[in-house]
Amino acid sequence: MSSKLAILFVAGVAALNAQDMPLDNSVKINLPPDSPLTLISANLGESHVSRRGSAVVLDLDVALTLHNSSPNRVRGVTLLVAAQEVTPGGKASVSVPSLDVAPNQNFPVRINLRLLRPAQMGGGPLVQVNLDGVLFQDFSFYGPNRLDSRRSMTAWEMEAQRDRKYFKSILAARGVEGLKQAMLESLNRQTERPRLDVQVSRGPAVGSAAVGEHSAKFAFLHFPDAPVDPVGGWAEIAGNEARNPRIDVRNLSSRQVRYVEIDWIVNDRQGQRFMAGSVPASGPEFNLKAGGISRVLQDTALKLSKDGGPVSIAGMTGFVGQVEFADGKVWIPNREALANAQLLGILEPSPEEQRLLDLYRKKGPKALADELNKF
Amino acid sequence: MTHPSQSTLALYAGQDLGWFARWRTQRHVAECRECRIEVRAFGSASEELASLNELPAIAWNRMAAEMKANIRLGLAAGECVRTGPAPFAWLSGARALTACASIIALVATGLLLQRPAPAPPQIATGSAVLRATANGIELNQGGQTLSLLHVPSGNVSYSAGAQGSMRAGYVDSDTGNVTIDNVYVQ
Repeated sequence: MSSKLAILFVAGVAALNAQDMPLDNSVKINLPPDSPLTLISANLGESHVSRRGSAVVLDLDVALTLHNSSPNRVRGVTLLVAAQEVTPGGKASVSVPSLDVAPNQNFPVRINLRLLRPAQMGGGPLVQVNLDGVLFQDFSFYGPNRLDSRRSMTAWEMEAQRDRKYFKSILAARGVEGLKQAMLESLNRQTERPRLDVQVSRGPAVGSAAVGEHSAKFAFLHFPDAPVDPVGGWAEIAGNEARNPRIDVRNLSSRQVRYVEIDWIVNDRQGQRFMAGSVPASGPEFNLKAGGISRVLQDTALKLSKDGGPVSIAGMTGFVGQVEFADGKVWIPNREALANAQLLGILEPSPEEQRLLDLYRKKGPKALADELNKF
Repeated sequence: MTHPSQSTLALYAGQDLGWFARWRTQRHVAECRECRIEVRAFGSASEELASLNELPAIAWNRMAAEMKANIRLGLAAGECVRTGPAPFAWLSGARALTACASIIALVATGLLLQRPAPAPPQIATGSAVLRATANGIELNQGGQTLSLLHVPSGNVSYSAGAQGSMRAGYVDSDTGNVTIDNVYVQ
């Protein structure tokens, strides 16, 4: 009897595995003919597709090698990866900021994602990888920018310049030992930064979420050099859930603004502060003229937990984290302002700071100093 | 023939179109086999997502009935093998003890299952939810979960976007490059 069961089990496992197939010719990499990047190779590694009833799950493990065929140094790349763009789980993007790729140089991009699509969709490749944008050293940009990657990559590059400048100033003032100390402080901040389990959903809340809900006001941090200032804001709170943030902002500058991002911090009943997320405002309906006031709002809900338990939201703080002007220029807070507001221990480090920390961990302070001196 | 866009077909499949767009799409789909297949595919994918990783349903009533039947069978079997009349024989012996224990277990299980528990707060039930965990980003729909992004690195920074996205930033151990993956709730 037991041997029959074992045979049945083995046959069942084999039947399940038979549904897993390599993705071979089902991933299409689309680079426009005039693209500044060309595809050298695409290794699909262990990418595979598995059928689950009428849906298809695509596990992507793709290693691309791209070539910079432009005359400029590449600082960032964003790829749109889509199995289908409409239903949840069908679309993602992969960005690689903090690059420094010289003309005629190759560089790698990894895609490790899982996507979902209906099994009965029309023919063609199962996954399409499209170039959304390339950012160059002089902040010029190439690409369709469907994901607003121009702004994201410009902001990351500005953060990279800001953070490199900070660490270089330490290197200049206190040498390699001072740089080492600064890296250790940064590592400590990352280790001690309170982490939350955050859930995001769109649309109105239903059921018990609405029970005990009340409207709560934002407190705001104001940066002296910010071109936009928050003037008032509210969100609905119920237990560990905050919904529908709406924040009024005033444009203090003389230029038109097309994008504002408010960073959203919550504090629990013990007074501990956590980074909850960001509230962006953009699109054709958002038009913040010089001196004008406009509203940043999102029909969304954030639910916060920590160590498996809910985080009871006692208060909320917001500050302007990013501004994009109509001419494409971007503003970000400077490092001194973030330090003065005691935000460095709450915010995620910039991609460049992450890269420098990784370099320090793997190769030590001397290699880090050499890297900083390249710029 | 001009076909409706994929997003229109998806919204139609989910019955989320306005009445006029629905009527217009319905007319097209009734005549276009290709779009009919697409609509069916969107509908079934949505159902499939909800059924992924679904726990098998447990028929508690059926299980309870089977337990009762087994107890009765045990008692009946005891009656069959009994050689002579014995008053209160059902109260003695290992079988009776087992039967009593089973009844107690059944009642205790029933009470446990029926005990009202406070419902945890829920956000936008039925809509897709993105969740950042220590291991990556998950998509949850209809109470069922699918992992969308497994981050191999331990040093990952997550960032939630109130427009319905979740971002993971980490240093890729193979390339040494900072990589930022973004997944979207819709």
